[in-house]
Amino acid sequence: MRVKLRNVYVAYSGSRKPTIKDITLTLDRGVYVITGPNGAGKTTLLETIIGLLKPYRGEAYLLGVNTKSRRIFRARRKCSYVPQDFMKPPTEAYTGMDVIRLGLVFNRGSLNDAIELAKRLNALDLLEKPFGKLSGGQQQKIMILRALARNPEILLLDEPFSSLDAETKENLCEILKEYSDRLVVIVCHDTSIVKRSADHIVRMEEGRVVDIS
Amino acid sequence: MIFLESILSAILSSVLISSTGYYAEKFRITTLSFCVAHAALAGASIGLVLRADPTYSGMVLAVTSAILLGVVLPRIHLKEVLTLSLFSFFSAIALIAIYLSNTTVLATTTLSMVLWGSLLAVDVQKLVMLSVALTAFAFYLKVFKVQIDSIIFDRELAEAEGIDVYSHTLALLAFMGVAIALALRITGGFLIFALLYIPVASSLLVADTAKGQLLASITFASLSAIFGFSVSYVFDLPIGSSITIVAATILLISAAISRRGSVVYE
Repeated sequence: MRVKLRNVYVAYSGSRKPTIKDITLTLDRGVYVITGPNGAGKTTLLETIIGLLKPYRGEAYLLGVNTKSRRIFRARRKCSYVPQDFMKPPTEAYTGMDVIRLGLVFNRGSLNDAIELAKRLNALDLLEKPFGKLSGGQQQKIMILRALARNPEILLLDEPFSSLDAETKENLCEILKEYSDRLVVIVCHDTSIVKRSADHIVRMEEGRVVDIS
Repeated sequence: MIFLESILSAILSSVLISSTGYYAEKFRITTLSFCVAHAALAGASIGLVLRADPTYSGMVLAVTSAILLGVVLPRIHLKEVLTLSLFSFFSAIALIAIYLSNTTVLATTTLSMVLWGSLLAVDVQKLVMLSVALTAFAFYLKVFKVQIDSIIFDRELAEAEGIDVYSHTLALLAFMGVAIALALRITGGFLIFALLYIPVASSLLVADTAKGQLLASITFASLSAIFGFSVSYVFDLPIGSSITIVAATILLISAAISRRGSVVYE
């Protein structure tokens, strides 16, 4: 199993109230869309899967490695993660291509793959521009390209469609379908966009998984 | 010969301190490095009491506190509050140690070196140590360039993609402890921040690429060292203060250039 959560409780630092409660999930392959109202714990769940947040009760495993273990770094190298509202200021010193290149340090991805994907997402002209000077949607495209170019075993996307135009959303949905032999977890407010790509819909409410369909 | 050793040490210290300061700013551990700088001052002052070499005692406390802070801070809440408390704690230790050091005249060479730096405080051994530390830091940056750049781009993302952010932060803090302890002889404990952050601040104003900012930071720090050294020599002023005044002047000029929207380094 690529991801396994067993009775997981997670709280943010300084808070006594758990943001996610008693979650047990096993995810192996396919496209999972996590949905639910604001504050349901969707982003927390994603951050728990990648190990940025550690459970204070229960166990979380990523590619068979406990997320509390030091070996989690090696497991993460086979994953890609695009955080929500990722935005860098105009002073950011890297170009779009630099940003992608930095993502390819430890894995099997290649710059050629990134260029091919850039063509499909109409993002070729963004690669040589300063990343910080790109618009929110353009920065999001580069971050998604970076995540895909890493050729990950697990792809975690937090609200990836929030700033994209309609055509890019369509193209991205098509690309995501090609990843159904791996594990793709998408946090998405509006499921209508990803309905065609999704294999499973996970619905969350008040920090709990209430339905998987 | 002493003149050559001193100016070389001033330049090497400036380059080492400004480059570690640049990465500390980019790693967002500025407050932590202030704390380490004060630990170095406290350690050097304890060296005065124990009649030990202040560079070594400063280095021991700076590196130890840097590593301890690096290990402890990620595990606790309210990091900033703890760091600022330790900052004051180390200042208090430094002042107590200076009081206890039985050095009745503040202008004593050893004490003045600890407080505001001294042209006479450098010897060949320290010059060699500075060169070794600078070479080791350059080697570290070369070997782990991509990982370090990834952390600078986004700390959380780097961690999520399998880069050991924690160990790199510890390594940077340890280098910073060594750099601060070695540079203390030139600038003095109270003005070490001048070389740590003023050149970095100036570089951020005039350069907009990562490479440009690092180069500008090192260049400004070296210029501050050379001109500060000259001012100190000609007017018989404390070298740390002279370097700080030159660095601050460069910062003002950089701010003026930046307001016009110019970019000097590409």
